[in-house]
Amino acid sequence: MGVLTDRGKATAYGIFSLSVLLTLWICATSLFQWIEPRVLPSPAQVIRQFAWIITEPFSGLRLPGHILFSLERWGWGVLTAGLVGIPVGVFFAWNPWFKTFLNPVFELIHFIPPFAYIPLAVLWFGASTATQAMVVFVAAFPAIVINSQLGVAQVEKIYVDAARVFGASPFRTLCRVVLPAAAPSIYTGLRIAISNGWMALVGAELVVGKVGLGFMIAQGQENASVATIFVGVITIGCLGVLIDTLVQRSERYVLPWRRVAG
Amino acid sequence: MGQSRTLQVAAGLGAILAWIIIWAWLTRPGGPVPTLYFPAPDDVWAKFVRMWQRPYIGSTLPNHILASLYIVLTGWGLAALVGIPLGIAMAWWKKLKWIVFPTFQLIRPVPPLAWIPLTILWLGIGDSARISVVFIAALVPWLMNSMLAVYSVDRLLLDAAKTLGANDRQILARVVCRTALPTLVAAARMALGNAWSTLVAAEILAATAGLGYVAVNASQLLDTDVLLVAMFMIGILGICMTGLIGLTQNWLAPWSVLGARRD
Repeated sequence: MGVLTDRGKATAYGIFSLSVLLTLWICATSLFQWIEPRVLPSPAQVIRQFAWIITEPFSGLRLPGHILFSLERWGWGVLTAGLVGIPVGVFFAWNPWFKTFLNPVFELIHFIPPFAYIPLAVLWFGASTATQAMVVFVAAFPAIVINSQLGVAQVEKIYVDAARVFGASPFRTLCRVVLPAAAPSIYTGLRIAISNGWMALVGAELVVGKVGLGFMIAQGQENASVATIFVGVITIGCLGVLIDTLVQRSERYVLPWRRVAG
Repeated sequence: MGQSRTLQVAAGLGAILAWIIIWAWLTRPGGPVPTLYFPAPDDVWAKFVRMWQRPYIGSTLPNHILASLYIVLTGWGLAALVGIPLGIAMAWWKKLKWIVFPTFQLIRPVPPLAWIPLTILWLGIGDSARISVVFIAALVPWLMNSMLAVYSVDRLLLDAAKTLGANDRQILARVVCRTALPTLVAAARMALGNAWSTLVAAEILAATAGLGYVAVNASQLLDTDVLLVAMFMIGILGICMTGLIGLTQNWLAPWSVLGARRD
């Protein structure tokens, strides 16, 4: 096997093991029916269910509709977390007293898992977009604050001093020197927040709501339709990967000055 | 140094006190925040004391706590039993990694919670459904960090061991597993964090005891004070557990702690 590089071999092994898995799945379900379709549907059934949910409304909406609702809630949560979290993180690093005062509240959000906020969110907002968005916010907020704070704290003091020597006002120093220097770290925080938020959204939608991908899985459980659950789980996983890849790729355009080997 | 540290602690405590006062002021009788949405601090405290002695939806607070801890520690421990050996083996034998990793990569992007409906259908709403979801949530950090731990072992140490005549098994047991220990402690922490937060959601969805179950029932019964007690307990227990793991690092891998404190 001297022909293949390690990378090639890894791919070959990967394709092999995945096809073994797929064959086992097909054997266990459609071919020999070791497992009842009620417990584990065959790949064909899952694909059929996929096609069905895309073309026929499921609980009032087709698959793209559910996806859009999930994305909307997630978007609101992450957006608010960014709008609040970045300034809070920056000021945490800028002013220690501000941090000391706000820290107890921040630690509450940080240390209580986002899902523990679901019952409270339901109580406050009922079954509205705000409920899920609040859970996404709680999941996304700490990563943004921590990384923004870290980014600002790591800005070399000499940059700030230089700006001051040239007569820049504190506000101007913040906007033109500190923020650009801290941006890569802030971006990392956003990236973590975005994927944390996506995870939390699924949990929130499982508990409350009448649309969305999480709801779709919950409904699959209710109807004892494992195929529907599979469709939901696969969609959630693929969208998660897609979002993360997009964010990762976009970094080059958003932060062109960051020349870290990657 | 010592004095500024005391000042910091004092300021931190002052801030907590300030927030409790703000909280009490906002929720005072006739205050701006109705207690249905956010109860007063003394109500929460009273409920906490009461729940400690009298059962709420079936069990007293300590029993709910034990129920949660039992599930989370079982799932987390099982994940360690699978994740650590598998992770180390995958990093050590390339072929094993090539075979297992693609499947793992396929499952990884799915939020652990998304498995809850499936496990409920397959295993019912008993403990095993929750344990398996916690297991999935904890497995990823265990496995990834065990792999990382092996990769981060200094090449020089391996070569030195080899030169001194150690065989593969000896190197794995005496060099790799030991130098990997600090990373494994970090893995334990991350895995437990994931496990704990997933457990809460699993308990909200399907349970008959546990803190998440208390929280969701309290929300439905509009017992906001009970809900806050449950949330605080979830947070405090999370902090305690990660703190305990941090302490174990002191005696499991004292050299790493020394290294960290050098500056």
